[in-house]
Amino acid sequence: MRVDYINPFVEAAFSVVEEVLSTKVERGKIYLKGETQAIMGLATIVGLAGGVEGRVILDMDIPTALRIASIMNGEELNEVDDLVKATLTELANVVTGVAVTELHEKGFRFDLTPPAVITGENMKVHDIGIEALVVPMTLPFGEIEVNVAIKEREVSSDG
Amino acid sequence: MVKGTEIPGITTKTPEGVKGNGRAYKVLVVDDSMFVAKQIGQILTSEGFEIVATAGDGEEAVTKYKQLKDQIDLVTMDITMPKMDGVTALEKIIEFDPDAKVVMISALGRQDLVKKSLLLGAKNYIVKPLDRKKVLERVVSVLKS
Repeated sequence: MRVDYINPFVEAAFSVVEEVLSTKVERGKIYLKGETQAIMGLATIVGLAGGVEGRVILDMDIPTALRIASIMNGEELNEVDDLVKATLTELANVVTGVAVTELHEKGFRFDLTPPAVITGENMKVHDIGIEALVVPMTLPFGEIEVNVAIKEREVSSDG
Repeated sequence: MVKGTEIPGITTKTPEGVKGNGRAYKVLVVDDSMFVAKQIGQILTSEGFEIVATAGDGEEAVTKYKQLKDQIDLVTMDITMPKMDGVTALEKIIEFDPDAKVVMISALGRQDLVKKSLLLGAKNYIVKPLDRKKVLERVVSVLKS
């Protein structure tokens, strides 16, 4: 069941990145990360709530983020400023929009939070009680990890 | 404009953003994303349109529309925004000016809100990611209808 939720986000990330950046993306091998994971430098995070709970992270290092933002803006951007953050937020918006459309069509019901961008070195994500599945995407100039942790909402039996 | 300096004969095609009288169509761009606002601005200005103002949320959009009504030919309106969403702002703009030409800019997966907007009086919509051809096609079709 969990893969039903995860695949659409991974597929959406691949198709959107290929379309928006007009570049070929190679898919790396999927792997499981523990409850604590390091962030590469810049990550967009979208939260999921409703029938499921969890989050979807697009994680990349700063040079890759700058390259992506430069391509999307058609100009060279050399520092993580508001425009770079807005650009990557929009990338995450489009990826999650595509995935959620597919999931809603399949009958899954949940809401998304607006994307947040976090940047910094030696940052870690702690997902209590959920392991994250990670799919690396290799671009000609860097790597993005699609990092998804979702679990179905547990219904409390003691009210 | 200094007469006699134009280089004749390079192109005879009038840009899509220029009216028959030679004046640019004027657009109010409403979007909370600096990236999307910039993208729409670049696409439209490259085709001769003039961005007369921008707004980062629905409230600002309604205020600016009321202030600049006579100068605005068309509004591009994002749907999900802070303070006041694009559907509510559309409703208020149509209430103030039933002839307003508003094109909704929507994320995928928001068909319900797009339908609602069209029923409320939006003239067309564009789904993100935006591409130049799609944006110009929709904007021009609304302005020429």
